[in-house]
Parts: sequence; C-alpha cells; structure tokens
Amino acid sequence: MFDLPNIDIPIIVFLIIYGAYMLFYVLYSLFNVYHLLKYGMYGFGLYLLVTVFTGGTIILLAGSTYLLMDYDWSHPISLDDTVKFYNEDLFPAL
Amino acid sequence: MMRLDHLPNQRTDEHVVLFLRRHWFAILAIVSAFTLLTTLPISIAWYFWDTVQVWLNHAVIGPLIVLLGSIYFLSIWLFAFLEFTDYYLDTWIITNERIINIEQEGLFVRTASELDLAAVQDTTAEIRGILQTLFTYGQVFVQTAGEKGRFHFKNIDNPEHVKEIVTELVEEDKRRLSALGAGGRGKIKSVIK
Repeated sequence: MFDLPNIDIPIIVFLIIYGAYMLFYVLYSLFNVYHLLKYGMYGFGLYLLVTVFTGGTIILLAGSTYLLMDYDWSHPISLDDTVKFYNEDLFPAL
Repeated sequence: MMRLDHLPNQRTDEHVVLFLRRHWFAILAIVSAFTLLTTLPISIAWYFWDTVQVWLNHAVIGPLIVLLGSIYFLSIWLFAFLEFTDYYLDTWIITNERIINIEQEGLFVRTASELDLAAVQDTTAEIRGILQTLFTYGQVFVQTAGEKGRFHFKNIDNPEHVKEIVTELVEEDKRRLSALGAGGRGKIKSVIK
C-alpha cells in the first residue's frame, strides 16, 4: 500500500507572503507620496491627503495585527487534516 | 512642490487667472467605487456571520482569512489613493500670458506642456450627455496655430465660462502684443521679455 508522507508546515508561512505584499504596498505608497510632494500644489490639502492616507494605512494595519495576535502561528498545516474536514465543520448551516 | 505664486519659468507681470482640476464628479466616482468595494464584503460577512465566525476560529483558515482580508482592504485603500493622486495631479493653469497643461497618467507617466496665449486660434467648449448637462461640466479644447495640436481640459467645471475667460485673455494678450509693436504670435513674447 502506497503511503503519502505527512508534511507539516507552520502557518507562519502565511506571514511571509503577507510580508512580501507589505513590501510592495510600502514601496508603492512611498513612491506615490514622493510624487505628490514633488509635483503636488503647495498647500494644506496636500499635507491633509498624505496624513489621511498614512492614517488609513495605520488603522488597517493595527486592525489586522489585533485580529492576528490571538492565533497560534506555530500551528502546522497538516496534509492529514485537510481530508478530515466535513462540510458541517465549515458550514454550520448545512 | 509647485506653487501658484512661483510657476515654472514665470515671466514678469505674469499672474494666475484660473487654476483648474477635473470636476468633483471624478472624486465621486472614486468614492463610490471605494464604498462599494468596502461595504460589499463586510455586508456579506455580516449576513453569514455564523459561518464566518466558525472560519475565523479555525486554527488554519482563521489567520488565512484575516490576512487575505487585510490584503484586500489595503489594496482598495492604495488603489483609491492612486486614483485620487491621478486626479489631484492633473491640472491646468491659465495665466494672463500662457496655458500650462500638466497631466498625470498612472504613476509613471507625467506630461507638462505650455502654450502662449498669443498662439491660440480657437477655443471650443463641449458639454455632452445627461450627467455633464446636469452637473455643468465638460471639455474645453484650445486649438493652436502651429502643428502642436490642441490642449484638452478634461471634465472641468463650467467649461463655457472657462472658454469665455480664455477667449478674453487671448484677445487681451494679442492687443497687448500689438500695442507693444510685436504683433506676432507666441514666439515673439520672448523678445518682449
């Protein structure tokens, strides 16, 4: 009988992908802010715009961090577990 | 940073008459898209809250959903900001001597051009469609004498009023030039200054 070896990957790998996205986000945002500050029209509106964007980003990141704090990041993604789910587990209404 | 009192290559006695951006309807489109894309998933999650709660409590699916949600909302936020930057940096400055056209296309394409008022041959205002008629916005085309083509003020507020002002300024500039004895178009200005 052929047996698949069980592979355990910790869910922290999700954070690596998220980190890569954040790198893209930060670079793109910084480039955009640089663009605004270089070519934008001098005035209060310009600073307000940059502040609102930065504030929004901080709120979104703070919210995400708050929600992510409670998870156990060493928990493994096990190949064995994936076949043990039943529809009733994930869709309680079924 | 650009200042209206210190324009690039500003000439003596030159002052800004009009500073134009696209009509606020452009912002409304960005805000509407942002609101729709934000509220739609939140409403769906709220409606199926029992199921979503089970998913969030799951050791593997929970963090995955939160991370994907975070990426989704951050992307919408960034997209809205990029669109707003595009709107904010698209400007048309009309002074008593020239027209400056600054256009931002995405993050990596920026075109800045200017035109002497004396080189303007024809100005056209255009309002098309129900929305433009209701909110009084539209296009103004400024046709030049040379092969440069024309300037296009896109979706600006009250295009007819802008057209009138441009026409008046062109006439004034031409009168001023002929009074100074130059009488020519465009290029002659640099001799005067």
